[in-house]
Amino acid sequence: MVRRKSQAEESAARPPKKRSLEVDPYEVPDDVTSPKPSRGPAASARRPAASKAAEGEAEDSVDETQASVEPSPTKKRPGRPPKANGQAVTPSALRKKAVVATPIKLNGINGVDTPSRRNNADRSARRKSARALIDRVVGGAISDDEGEEEDIAREIYESSDEEDEDEKAEQEPIATTPSKRGPGRPRKGTTTATRKRSPTPPRDLPPHEQYFYQNKPGLTKTSGNNLSSLDLLTHEEYFSVLRQIKDPHAKDVEFLQSLHAESFPQWTFELSQGFNTCLYGYGSKRRLLHQFATYLSSKDRASPPSKIVIINGYVRTTSLREILSTLGTAASHKLTTGTPVAMVQSLLSFLTSTPTTTLILLINSIDATPLRKPGSQSILAQLAAHPQIRLVCSTDTPDFPFLWDSGQRSSFNFVFHDCTTFAPFGPEIDVVDEVHELLGRKARRVGGKEGVAFVLRSLPENAKSLFRLLVTEVIVAMDEGDSGSSEGPAVEYRMVYNKAVEEFICSSEMAFRTLLKEFHDHQIITSHKDSLGTELLSLPFRKDELEAILEDLMS
Amino acid sequence: MDSLDDHIFQEDDHRTAFIFTPPSSDPSASANTTKGTPSRPAKRRRVSSKQQQSTPTNNNTSHHAEHDQDHDHDQDPALPFPPLLSSRESPACTSLRASLFAEAWPALESRIEDVLRGANRSTLEAVHGFLLEASSDGQGCERGGTDKKIPAGFIITGPNIAGQELLFGQLAEELAGGGARVVRVRSGEGVNLKAVLKRVVRDAGRMGEDEEEEGGGRRYLDYDLEALYEVLKGKREAERRVVVAFQDSEAFDNALLTDLVRLFYEWRGRIRFEVLFGIATSVELFQARLLKSKSRLMLGRQFDVVQADKVLESVFKAAVVGNRAVVRLGPGLLRSLMERQQEQVAGIQVFISSLKYAYMCHFYANSLSFLLAGPDKLGREMLQAEHLEAVRSLESFKTHVEAAVEARQLKHAQSLLDDDEYLTGQILEQGSKREEYLLQLLQSLHLLVAMGLHTTPFTELYISALSDGVDLASGDSPVLDNVKRLGPTEIAALIGRLLNAIRDGSPELDLPGWEDDAEDLTKALTEIRDDIEALEQRAKTERNPLKSKYSAQSRVVRTTVVAQKVQLSHDTAKLTNDDKAFTEAIDRLAEVLSRHIQSDPVTSCPLHEAWLYDAKSPYRDVFVPRPGVTFSRALSRPHDYLSCACCKSNGTTAGTLPTTAILYHLYLEAGALINVADLWSAYLALVGEDTNIGLDERTALVQFYRGLGELRTMGFVKQSKKKADHIAKLRWL
Repeated sequence: MVRRKSQAEESAARPPKKRSLEVDPYEVPDDVTSPKPSRGPAASARRPAASKAAEGEAEDSVDETQASVEPSPTKKRPGRPPKANGQAVTPSALRKKAVVATPIKLNGINGVDTPSRRNNADRSARRKSARALIDRVVGGAISDDEGEEEDIAREIYESSDEEDEDEKAEQEPIATTPSKRGPGRPRKGTTTATRKRSPTPPRDLPPHEQYFYQNKPGLTKTSGNNLSSLDLLTHEEYFSVLRQIKDPHAKDVEFLQSLHAESFPQWTFELSQGFNTCLYGYGSKRRLLHQFATYLSSKDRASPPSKIVIINGYVRTTSLREILSTLGTAASHKLTTGTPVAMVQSLLSFLTSTPTTTLILLINSIDATPLRKPGSQSILAQLAAHPQIRLVCSTDTPDFPFLWDSGQRSSFNFVFHDCTTFAPFGPEIDVVDEVHELLGRKARRVGGKEGVAFVLRSLPENAKSLFRLLVTEVIVAMDEGDSGSSEGPAVEYRMVYNKAVEEFICSSEMAFRTLLKEFHDHQIITSHKDSLGTELLSLPFRKDELEAILEDLMS
Repeated sequence: MDSLDDHIFQEDDHRTAFIFTPPSSDPSASANTTKGTPSRPAKRRRVSSKQQQSTPTNNNTSHHAEHDQDHDHDQDPALPFPPLLSSRESPACTSLRASLFAEAWPALESRIEDVLRGANRSTLEAVHGFLLEASSDGQGCERGGTDKKIPAGFIITGPNIAGQELLFGQLAEELAGGGARVVRVRSGEGVNLKAVLKRVVRDAGRMGEDEEEEGGGRRYLDYDLEALYEVLKGKREAERRVVVAFQDSEAFDNALLTDLVRLFYEWRGRIRFEVLFGIATSVELFQARLLKSKSRLMLGRQFDVVQADKVLESVFKAAVVGNRAVVRLGPGLLRSLMERQQEQVAGIQVFISSLKYAYMCHFYANSLSFLLAGPDKLGREMLQAEHLEAVRSLESFKTHVEAAVEARQLKHAQSLLDDDEYLTGQILEQGSKREEYLLQLLQSLHLLVAMGLHTTPFTELYISALSDGVDLASGDSPVLDNVKRLGPTEIAALIGRLLNAIRDGSPELDLPGWEDDAEDLTKALTEIRDDIEALEQRAKTERNPLKSKYSAQSRVVRTTVVAQKVQLSHDTAKLTNDDKAFTEAIDRLAEVLSRHIQSDPVTSCPLHEAWLYDAKSPYRDVFVPRPGVTFSRALSRPHDYLSCACCKSNGTTAGTLPTTAILYHLYLEAGALINVADLWSAYLALVGEDTNIGLDERTALVQFYRGLGELRTMGFVKQSKKKADHIAKLRWL
């Protein structure tokens, strides 16, 4: 018996053979035995699994023990088996621990600490009232209000008595659980504990609580399904299907837009008073802004009419220079060429010198990526601050206010309007590319596995070996769960070089660099530096692709 | 939207920037644009005409120019005010509202500007004085040339960079008045040495250019200080100073500043450079960033700007409380405005903008706001039936009528309700009632402040006076108690202050003195003062200090220890006859004060809706947007916006919702990491062929793509490399 147990303990140090349990690096191993220091690169990942497996095995052994010992405790079952009884039966230390541990853990996680604190308070109140009662009896004399007091004291005493019984009743099943089920299944305890820890997500948490809840370590359990069976959309298919889709909400969206359009006079008034307008809310506001432009030009009675310039911030090639030169054309002024800063200054001083020229800027998606740079925003703010320039812009993200510091915000002098349109985004989003990027399938690379094979075929043998080395290292890094930074799992340049030298792939760093350069040119590797300045290499492929490549290279 | 319009726009959607040409439905407008555009540039581009125009408006007048222009625009009859009262408002009323706004705001704005200018006055003068002094000091050793340092003013502006703009604008004006050339550089513009120098050469050189047309002279690179020297060479000593002001010094590159200082120092023999630094933190921190060898080249002094809350208070007094404020801001709005100023460290500009927006809202959206017009513009005929109806539905009107009924003025109440003529008369009278009320309020407040017994800030005092009124006699106010405890000399001084306040009024509040109207008050006060002074005189000769039954000395708490027990006893000192007279005088004073310093809550004024603006929500929506709430509401309950029949929100995720909304619901249910494959199957289960939506897989996939793409654009998700086909959650709204 005892020997079996020690075997189980020993097995903790060994890598698991029987069970491939889900790796949970955050689970605290239950048993005391610490695994031996690991050697291999993957050992750290394996460690928790190992201990877990050991635990499992230990449980198994305990189970069996239980089965064999069973007859002796069953005799005592009728009646209330006290805890000590269970303990006495447990032959091994491990078992004792398991039995005791369960209720304690339950207590802690159940969050019963508050009630227990309350109980303490009650208890002390009860003690006091008991003392009061005794005093009364000893003292004898009872006046009117003292009698009242006594009543209260008695009440407290009795009520807590009842509660105490309730408590006992509650505790009873918990206390009996281990002995009823047999102490051989401490697993039960752990499962209830984990279940208690992650019930269905609590409703109505405030956002920040939600964040901490969802980012709790160990909670990110998702299924292993992937989209490999799904035939992803191509641009052609996307657009041909899109053309046939009829939005059931089209009418409502149109109506919503007309509601927003009713505030055009108000916006015009605000603009005329030196405020700039910023529209936010879900949905594309491009059409709305266009309508507003039409409205403005129809209402404009100033002479000469102010020029309306529409800027599409979402266009990927948007550059400040282009925007500014368009503005220059609109103001009929030849801007000095040069940096955007110089162009702005030239434009603004021209405007100051011709007070009759007014420009109205309508910017679609001022928070789109091309315009997000602080430089662009400060230039736009400078433009907006000029009294002859009016600015209306729309934003698409919910956190657009972070774009501006207080100085820019005050030069923008914005009034904000909620313009939730629900209108579908059209040219603002290149849907297919966006989604594919999101899924990590980038179109611009050499076509995955085949592309790599093609490139490698034209390279010398040691280049192939180096690439194989790289792929192996990256896969190992992936297995370690080291997600690296934005570019996925990465390996250290220095380390790869050393290994390459060890394997006689190259003899000098020069040669190594040359080989890497070739890979760089074909965009089959990427490199970047981390915050410490260490150069890192990574491969822009997903794991299954990498595995396929490695297979190809090995064969 | 017709198809033509759509088509035009499709092309433009993919261009970065383009000039909008309106669809040619309005022939006159389009003709105007096509005709106007080509002819204009030729005229405008001529250099000489441009310079003539630019010269006068250059630095000191640019503010006014922009102001005038605003003014012009306001005068524009086509100010876009739509008619109210379900479009039945007469054009006369509409334009009256517009013109009222056009008069009211600019007047107030210029007043605010005066206040702001005044607030920074001392700083400006100190800076100016320092620069003058430093440069004249330097002249003596100019011959030696080597030890002359660059005068440098370090202006501590505080962390609010938005406020710097105004200060430096004023500074530039002030210094330019003294003949110096001022160049203001912001970190955004001064990215490198060349850019800063270009700006210096251009801005400093431009001022004198019209006299300086050299024509055939040598040409310089536009960042060569030699060019500037050429311009300045012939000038008098005082005009050769160039002041370079770095507004947000901390944001500049260290090396750039060092280089500039070095360069300026080297040029000091030819051009007299002076520098100003706007500093948000502290001089020590700033100095630590500069090289020691370079800081040694500067002769610096530190200047502190007036505290922001002081400026705020004076603006508040002038623009909100003062007599010139046409529209009154209600207590609720004011309170939230002040809170925002304190909590969000918003600059004074934000406060002014909010104020302006309140004015705009009032005149734009309140159909009764035209009642603010003076009696000369307001006639009986302007009041339409709709106006009367609107008045009758007002809260203040209702309370007024109810009060009339309670007071048994049934006739009055009856006529108000039935007789349009009578009501019109009453409405037209409200203007004078308003003035009466406000005058009383301001005078009371002014006297309260003059008493000097208040510790609460003035803004707080005003807000509570508006919301709860001023009532000294009520138990809540500690003022009278404080007055009663004062000694005879203090009371005499207090009365003196009150009399002064009545005589002088308050220039801050634009409140003239009202000695003539307050004869009984002044008389009562003088009498009391004379009595007290006489009493005190007598007390002095008798060497018996004067006291009243309220003063602290008269009540002594005595502690006696009797048989190891402490006994407390109140001991009331005997009051002499004089003391009693004094007490009586104090009582009289308290009575006079509580009679004269009083005001009702603003809501008790009938028809206050015509001149009081107290709506918090437009202000909050417009200046403090809450995009997170807006987005999460739109996506989680689209029905709120769309009010469509199909997706009445009942807490479940229906397939009829817009795609992104469905995905958002699923997104909320998911953890920090989302498996796209599962998301897709969940989505398909909601809209797929088995449901009553019945989309086929490819269509559903297109919708799914769209929704996912939108989620990504809105920044809700990003790619995750942790697992294949997983995305990471980025937003918890």
